[in-house]
Amino acid sequence: MSARSKRRSIAFCLVGVVCCLIMFFPVYWMFITSIKPMGEIYHKPPLLIPKNPTLKAYVDNFIKSRDVYNYFRNSCIVALGSMAFVVILAAPTSYALSRLKIRGKTLIMLTLLMVQMFPSIVLVTPLYITFGRLGLNNNYFGLILANATISLPFVILVLRPYFLGLPKGLEDAAAIDGCSKWGTFWRVMLPLTKPGLVTVAAFSFLFAWGELLFATTLTSKESMRPITAGIYRFIGQFQVEWNSLMAVSFAASLPIIIVFIALQNQIVSGITAGAVKQ
Amino acid sequence: MSRFSKGLKVAWGTIIDYSFIVPTVLFIIAFMIYPVLYNIWLSMTDLNVMNFRIGGSWVGLANYKQLLSDDIFKAAFVNTLVFVFACIFFQFTIGFALAVLFNNRFPGSNIMRATLMISWMLPKVVAGTLFRWILSGDFGILNQFLRGAGLISQNILWLSSSQLALWGIIIANVWIGIPFNMIILLGGLQTLSEELFEAAKIDGAGPWQVFVKITLPLLRPTIMILLILGFIYTSKVFDLVHVMTQGGPLNSTQLLPYYSYVQSFQFFNFGKGAAISGVIFVFLIVLSGLYLRETQKEDIMG
Repeated sequence: MSARSKRRSIAFCLVGVVCCLIMFFPVYWMFITSIKPMGEIYHKPPLLIPKNPTLKAYVDNFIKSRDVYNYFRNSCIVALGSMAFVVILAAPTSYALSRLKIRGKTLIMLTLLMVQMFPSIVLVTPLYITFGRLGLNNNYFGLILANATISLPFVILVLRPYFLGLPKGLEDAAAIDGCSKWGTFWRVMLPLTKPGLVTVAAFSFLFAWGELLFATTLTSKESMRPITAGIYRFIGQFQVEWNSLMAVSFAASLPIIIVFIALQNQIVSGITAGAVKQ
Repeated sequence: MSRFSKGLKVAWGTIIDYSFIVPTVLFIIAFMIYPVLYNIWLSMTDLNVMNFRIGGSWVGLANYKQLLSDDIFKAAFVNTLVFVFACIFFQFTIGFALAVLFNNRFPGSNIMRATLMISWMLPKVVAGTLFRWILSGDFGILNQFLRGAGLISQNILWLSSSQLALWGIIIANVWIGIPFNMIILLGGLQTLSEELFEAAKIDGAGPWQVFVKITLPLLRPTIMILLILGFIYTSKVFDLVHVMTQGGPLNSTQLLPYYSYVQSFQFFNFGKGAAISGVIFVFLIVLSGLYLRETQKEDIMG
């Protein structure tokens, strides 16, 4: 019995390794291409491991030319900005929807579930026109607001169970100690939901970092565009210099990879909670 | 007097309660609900680059009627259906297989499961660029693999052939979508009780029988939600088309969201672009309705 279950688990392990190799291969290929000299990119048969790895593509695009920094800076501002904006709006709302007496709670929850599905393509033209009037095109705050439409409803729904899970009676105890409602929320409830806050902050950062439609339409000045729009431009500019293109793409993926490695468990449970258990 | 001040206090308490949600409610009305209504109105005007400053005039359903005789719109509609069904079929079946695999514990299973998530996390622009390179005709690694395995004798022009380009984008999107399907189904599998399966085994049911007769029916709610979400997410895809093919060659990868973008932001036919996204919106609203019904069945308003 034990030998059989051991064999089984080795077989599973092998199948798992093969699946991972296939799924991970594109990411590996992105990195490997980025450290190949031009000659090896078009080598036949293709080299799975470069013969003369070089950081030339990184040096060219991050040291010799500094075009990309502006894109990265814009992405940081927009992604961190919409992360802060979304968490600041979402946390009190999630708290109120889980623990305060609010009329129409069900209606608000249903509305949130509904607007969570709104595709950006439906919002983009009206936002473009309205932002044009308000002077919010080519503007960081405009991009932050637009990105918040993608993550805010989702973040509220993912965060709510964290507040629901806190012990009952916390508010009463805080009230006896003379805390106001906002004081209770700020000093008692928020610190207790830190893991949840970190998870949703990561989500709103990831969504905004990878966003392209708003990034291309709500900005017309190249100097205001995030890296996603930058990569789109580089495709035309670099043409067949795949090492440069892959180097910039890999650099644009690094923040995502780092956030994910740091928070993988929270993110995985957040996905399940957000999609299925509302 | 004291009753009055008590009433005041209650009213004040209510105001404080609502102050927690008012900013969010205002945001959602101003930046999500109002734009959607605005978009419906736009779709019934002829707003374009010529009359942008003075505002378009009302044309009723003319834009929608025009779509019915627009061959590119029809092509985009069919492409979107093919794209959505193909993507869901492959990402769901592969995701399901992986979920069943990772529902077992084995050495390295946690790390492997985490590694698999990466394709879902990457920015779609990056994934699109990467697949443009992997699928490239002469030097793309996929063709080299297929040739090496003896499956093809000539390079396939994945993204520059009008028969195959849509499948090139489907491959990229399936790669992105697999982890999400796996994680949701794995979550569902882990809620099923071990005892049930033990009992079935004792009664002499084979693994396939257990899967079809027990696992699938018990997972039905999760599967329904996942399929509806799959429809919603894949019918929104814009980034991959923009980066990989821009709708070409010969509109063979024109999908509805992309066609809407092209009309609004390349031809500046805002009215027509809004009508196309209006069509997408109607479909998504129906699907969202189904999704709501399923999640409410599943559970749990707290």
